[in-house]
Amino acid sequence: MPNMEFQLGLALPTPSIIKGFDLNNLGLDHPKDMGGLEARNKPARCFSDKSKRSFEQAFGNFEAECKTKTLLLLWSGQPNEEEDHNDQKKRTFSTIDDRNDAEEVDQVVGWPPIKTWRKKIFQQQQQQHRVGRIGNNRVADKENGSRSIYVKVKMEGVAITRKVDIRLYRSYQTLTNSLITLFAKYKKCADDDYTRYILTYQDKEGDWLIAGDIPWQSFIRSVQRLKIVRNWG
Amino acid sequence: MQKKVACSFPDEVLEHVFSFIQSDKDRNAVSMVCKSWYEIERWCRRKIFIGNCYAVSPRMVIRRFPKVRSIELKGKPHFADFNLVPDGWGGYVLPWIAEMAGAYPWLEEIRLKRMVVTDECLELIAKSFKNFKVLVLFSCEGFSTDGLAAIAASCMNLRELDLRDSDVDDLGGHWLSHFPETYTSLVSLNSSCLGSDEVSLSALERLVGRCTNLRTLRLNRAVPLDKIANILGRAPQLVDFGTGTYGADLQSDVFSSLAGAFSSCKELRSLSGFWDVVPAYLPAIYPVCSRLTSLNLSYVTIQSPDLVKLLRHCPSLQRLLVLDYIEDSGLEALSSSCKDLQELRVFPSDPFGEEPNVSLTEQGLVSVCLACPKLQSVLYFCRRMSNVALVTIAQNCPNLTRFRLCIIEPRTADFLTLEPLDVGFGAIVEHCKDLRRLSLSGLLTDRVFEYIGRYAKKLEMLSVAFAGESDLGLHHVLSGCESLRKLEIRDCPFGDKALLANASKLETMRSLWMSSCAVSFGACKLLGQKMPRLNVEVIDESGPPDSRPDSCPVDKLYIYRSVAGPRFDMPPFVWTMDEDSALQVHALHVAEYNRKPDWIGVGTYEESIQGLRAKMPFVLYLAELSNTSQCSSQPLLSGDTTLTPPRPLLRLPIETLESDDKTQRSKEGKYMIKMRYSMNPTICFEIRPISTRSFPGV
Repeated sequence: MPNMEFQLGLALPTPSIIKGFDLNNLGLDHPKDMGGLEARNKPARCFSDKSKRSFEQAFGNFEAECKTKTLLLLWSGQPNEEEDHNDQKKRTFSTIDDRNDAEEVDQVVGWPPIKTWRKKIFQQQQQQHRVGRIGNNRVADKENGSRSIYVKVKMEGVAITRKVDIRLYRSYQTLTNSLITLFAKYKKCADDDYTRYILTYQDKEGDWLIAGDIPWQSFIRSVQRLKIVRNWG
Repeated sequence: MQKKVACSFPDEVLEHVFSFIQSDKDRNAVSMVCKSWYEIERWCRRKIFIGNCYAVSPRMVIRRFPKVRSIELKGKPHFADFNLVPDGWGGYVLPWIAEMAGAYPWLEEIRLKRMVVTDECLELIAKSFKNFKVLVLFSCEGFSTDGLAAIAASCMNLRELDLRDSDVDDLGGHWLSHFPETYTSLVSLNSSCLGSDEVSLSALERLVGRCTNLRTLRLNRAVPLDKIANILGRAPQLVDFGTGTYGADLQSDVFSSLAGAFSSCKELRSLSGFWDVVPAYLPAIYPVCSRLTSLNLSYVTIQSPDLVKLLRHCPSLQRLLVLDYIEDSGLEALSSSCKDLQELRVFPSDPFGEEPNVSLTEQGLVSVCLACPKLQSVLYFCRRMSNVALVTIAQNCPNLTRFRLCIIEPRTADFLTLEPLDVGFGAIVEHCKDLRRLSLSGLLTDRVFEYIGRYAKKLEMLSVAFAGESDLGLHHVLSGCESLRKLEIRDCPFGDKALLANASKLETMRSLWMSSCAVSFGACKLLGQKMPRLNVEVIDESGPPDSRPDSCPVDKLYIYRSVAGPRFDMPPFVWTMDEDSALQVHALHVAEYNRKPDWIGVGTYEESIQGLRAKMPFVLYLAELSNTSQCSSQPLLSGDTTLTPPRPLLRLPIETLESDDKTQRSKEGKYMIKMRYSMNPTICFEIRPISTRSFPGV
């Protein structure tokens, strides 16, 4: 069965050609690529769990996160006698999605466990009560009641135009991953195995730009349509 | 001797006797007595509850119970309420409706929870069931008020329409006017979740006026305060009322007509709604407060003194939902006013705030538990807790059946001793012997799970987050909790060992959810292979799990028992760990089609795909390529492209194809799928063996 190999570079590709469906290396400039995967292979950072941590310590606050590129909270269980420590290190996981362009940070997904529609009501009420306060009025993702934004996605060489709801994604990473999955089956065998693709988008002004340069939140406000083009460079 | 006696009863007698047995458990027990009882029972079973829509197929249900009148189905796992289950995961009700439309023409009741319902489903219901009476859509999504209009227009015998917590595309209130003027059977209407600003007030008032049996009416926010008096005036027999907006500029004539309307509702026992409350209008409900047993103030953003003033008028209160504005002082007052309290839910007003905005601590809950002996059900959000408080609660409320505590910040220790809260929760499970549901929070080690496994013998549902230290914790729960049916875990360091060691336990449970834990892909595969009666679903939006080493942890895992085998309608980010993954069908794009009536030409899938248009549900049939006019009469799978993103990939494990033509099984070659319901595009797909490691190849 032909190997569906192609890369979905978000920026101009580096000269090295990378073979294979490699989620770890998508030609991104940012240091942390795969949400969770690299995190899982990193040694754990243990927080003292005996003392109560303030909300800021645990999950950061918006101001702090503007300065850091990534937010990662790792947990590693206390070493058990039976376990060897190699296993222990692999069993790390992040409680917050890794962000490679974290201008705004979401809280932990689904925590505290409040139904979505209740959250909407809180936010509406807070917006009434707290005019001018930055804090909780950030509405970063679909949970907060924003409507879907559908953009057409066309891949060069493929007849069918797909549509995706941009609001479902939190970062370029999750978007490209999803597009890879959507379009992988269109990759024809005839194409060069080393063909690489670039994700471009048309912004509000009608210009076609390469996706990845501007922060995610700006991107989703601006994107009109997406196109995946072959990069022969 | 006894056997002889049993057989000598004619079937009709036994059937009559069975008709007095309503509970599912008892019915199931009856059916296991002997073959003849099984047969008689299955023909007279009228009500079916299916806790997981994927545990059984519609056809299986219909085959066994041919005369069902009432069905209840649940779809997505509970954590879907908190956005942990990605959109498109599943839970489509269309296949069920489609099958029941033919098999149960006399179906009267459909109750759904966390399922995807479309307007097409609702139209099909309206069209197919002539005696349809009850529609409850609890936390459902995917439909609009157009679908409701279809129900309203056609279901002459409709008694109950309850949309609680559903995500409805509210296109305005005109759907209400689709109830014909001759329609008078409405008993219960809950449209409180509808979000549009438009509502057809005149249609609402006329409807309320002519439905003299109306007992429950829960309005949505769009209904203004000054209309309440009019509505209540037409329905003084109401038992359960939910207001719309309960705020406006204070006008004395509005107030007095409101108070007058409430006071004429002598049967009113439950109040809810109260969006945008203006405190000055609250006294209008005082006339009914003394009889109130249930009060939902969870949208009421007024401060504690005003809340207390209201609650002092409600001595008969059994159920209270309120925001944490009530504070410890308010709960203290509540505990002295409302001695009959059975259920308390306190929601956070500012869950994402960095600092506590109200003075609500563990003390509030303790004071209620000390003073309200009938308390059974607690849902409490707070920011601090102590072991001594939990022990006090446990000792004073041994009758608790549901205890859900959410300390807002994960892994918060006992604020007095800085220790884990193991001992406190341990006391809860030890003293509350009838505890059926428990949600944990705060700093917890494996010890708490040891207590749970040892004491919580009646526990049916456990929710765990940010807790535990090792697999031992999970092992305690799986090996000790005899009644466990649902276990949901997130962000805990539980891995493969406990899961694999207790694999057989999973077949005794409805489902297990684990996300952001440490279960490896390899373990999932092993579990899927070894346990054919479990569906082991790996949910991972970052890509196929077999593109990473087997030792890598999976993002989300959902395991449930099923006699229907793996499901057909999974989106691309869900994989079922199959017993035999060697022979699998990868179907091709299903999502895109238009309304052309012809069959599409056969060939590659690219040729068969047409442009995406209106979002419609579909049902797929299997058809032989060579004979396009014939297709199997049974639907192969169904789904719904109203969900977005469109689901481009379906996988159809060949072993589970249910087709009349058995020769179609395990048959390699090209097939064609035909769509039903007047959307007739065709999808081609190919059946061929694939290696277990190849994905997403087609």
